[in-house]
Amino acid sequence: MRKALLFFLGLLVSLPTISVEINFTTIVAPEAHLENKSSPYYIGPPTVEKRRYSSRQDLEVYLREGGLTAQGLARWQKTEGLSDDSSWQTAQLYYDGEFFPGLGWSIGRKVLSWGVGFAFRPLDIIQRENRRRVNAPPLLGVPLLALEHFSPESAWTLVWHNPGKGHGIDDRDCEGVALRWYGFSDNNDYHGVARVSQRHRLELGGGATTVIGDEWSLYAAGLYQRRNTKISNSLLDTALLFSTANPLVESSQKNGVNLVAGAQWTGSNGWSLLSEAFYDASAYGAADWRRLNQLTRGQLAMASSVPAGWGAANVAWSSQLFAAPNLVRENLLLRVSHDDGDGFKPYAELLVALRDGGLVTTLGGIYEQNRQKFSGGFRQMGGAGDSIFANTPEKRVLWLQWEMSL
Amino acid sequence: MSESRSQACRRIIFGLSLAALFDSFAAFAAEDVTAILRQADAYRRPAGSVRVEVDVELFRQGSLDKERSYTIYTKPGRRSVVLMKSPSEIGQKVLMLGEQFWLLMPDSQRPLRITANQKLLGEASTGDIADMTWSEDYQGAIVGEVDCPEPPSLLPELARTGKSRRCTHLDLNAARPGVTYSRLDLFVESASRMPIKADLFVGSGKRAKEAWYGEKTTDGQRRIMSMLLLDDIQTSRHTVIRYRSIVPKESPDELYNPAALVRNNLTGW
Repeated sequence: MRKALLFFLGLLVSLPTISVEINFTTIVAPEAHLENKSSPYYIGPPTVEKRRYSSRQDLEVYLREGGLTAQGLARWQKTEGLSDDSSWQTAQLYYDGEFFPGLGWSIGRKVLSWGVGFAFRPLDIIQRENRRRVNAPPLLGVPLLALEHFSPESAWTLVWHNPGKGHGIDDRDCEGVALRWYGFSDNNDYHGVARVSQRHRLELGGGATTVIGDEWSLYAAGLYQRRNTKISNSLLDTALLFSTANPLVESSQKNGVNLVAGAQWTGSNGWSLLSEAFYDASAYGAADWRRLNQLTRGQLAMASSVPAGWGAANVAWSSQLFAAPNLVRENLLLRVSHDDGDGFKPYAELLVALRDGGLVTTLGGIYEQNRQKFSGGFRQMGGAGDSIFANTPEKRVLWLQWEMSL
Repeated sequence: MSESRSQACRRIIFGLSLAALFDSFAAFAAEDVTAILRQADAYRRPAGSVRVEVDVELFRQGSLDKERSYTIYTKPGRRSVVLMKSPSEIGQKVLMLGEQFWLLMPDSQRPLRITANQKLLGEASTGDIADMTWSEDYQGAIVGEVDCPEPPSLLPELARTGKSRRCTHLDLNAARPGVTYSRLDLFVESASRMPIKADLFVGSGKRAKEAWYGEKTTDGQRRIMSMLLLDDIQTSRHTVIRYRSIVPKESPDELYNPAALVRNNLTGW
């Protein structure tokens, strides 16, 4: 961290000698999380400390000069029940070069989002992103070496990412070699991806976006994974009810498929409607949740028969599964938004869990001024009484964000 | 019998001649409109590839609310790249290839295909600042010659035309899909073809904006160097667009591939 910070400082000192574009942005992003005490997965103090309030403060430095791009984040994080945390992160630091017109190369840490979709992007095979997170911090790039070829209506990219990392600890951290093709003609964009990695073996995917008239855009994408991974509770594969250590493990399944399809209408009056259905094979299925609910109920029922704290600890471990980007596999997102042409962009979203009737309602908005941007919103989990969303250990989220560009 | 046949022949010949005359008149009128638009375009943008530096000021109830800066590269064949230069938008780009549009965000390697209506959204539509060739995008008819309309006093550089100047009033419709406004009511000075004012209509037929063009002599040439936009929907606000510089600049073809543009910062270019 200190080396990266020194590098950035060195770069800033040398700025007057080169023509460079530099920007500073300060971000203050407080959040309030209200717990759902009626959830079987809710465990309060002393097992799980309350973390209801938090605030992230970032100072972002972005600079570009020729092929060089650097993005650094000085962060100070305050969370209820935790001591303040400060850190420096190099979100991106890369150089884009060119062998000759039409053939380029890149080296460094770079954000590499390729996907098609709004709430879920299966084709983001390298830069996995939680698209449902509120107040999301800037993405952190992936170390890579890339070769890119451009023709008038298409582009190829060959990427070796996370060199030397092997299986890695998560999707963003794993090593792999990926090939991406992008092409366009008339009103259509086409995307194709392929990757070989230890973590997922072979992945193959494709997608397309088409624009119809002035108002409609339709899109779809799919990804096949020879092996997909998810976090699960290892107790589900045993006859045991309790574990003395965190039972959550990463498990893998063969032949996973992730899909997204959506339609967006945008009127000339600033209103926009979006409908998107998506299937995430790495999320828990209905049967997985049923088994986990049974296990949790059993743990709560037997808690008084085991050493103090065992029951609460086991349920708390299971509750970590609610941090997954998608809690259920089959989802439908409906979104209505408006752009008043004066910087105010309110929106309302409804995420429907198609199998169990769970609902996540989000109301939010963005207001942009000259150099400042305010955003905020409210999210409520609910729906059918026995649905997963109605039983999350967190009931509501309230967030704000203030951003000032210098 | 033979008399009636010869009468019929005469009628047919007369009818065909009339049709031919009408066709050639219509073709002449259309050509005339295109010629007027070409002359009007020449005041807005020189022919060929250019780089345009634009400052946009957004006023609310007469007070300056927001400022935005853009650099635009255009190339013949209706190809444009708009680079956002303001601190709050820096790194964002909009690519326009004819009727195809992409939004490129700085934190993504993904060109995002957008619709013509999405291109219109935002405080200063990229269409308002980048579409500068009416002759390629519109066709229509001359409505007539009228006294040039009087500009509002909001922008000092808008010339007071006075009633002594005459304007040609053109009714223009989009000649192709994806054009920012589906219809224009355009007034150009009759003598010089200098654009004076345009009413801009969206697809629903509703007037969205009223545009006034301000001229300035640069390098010995009369040019449109500012534009005032009065919003019909947000009536309390108006937008002033100032062209800081318009210079010939040949941009490489690879800039107009969305995937290639994503990785090009274009700093110092």
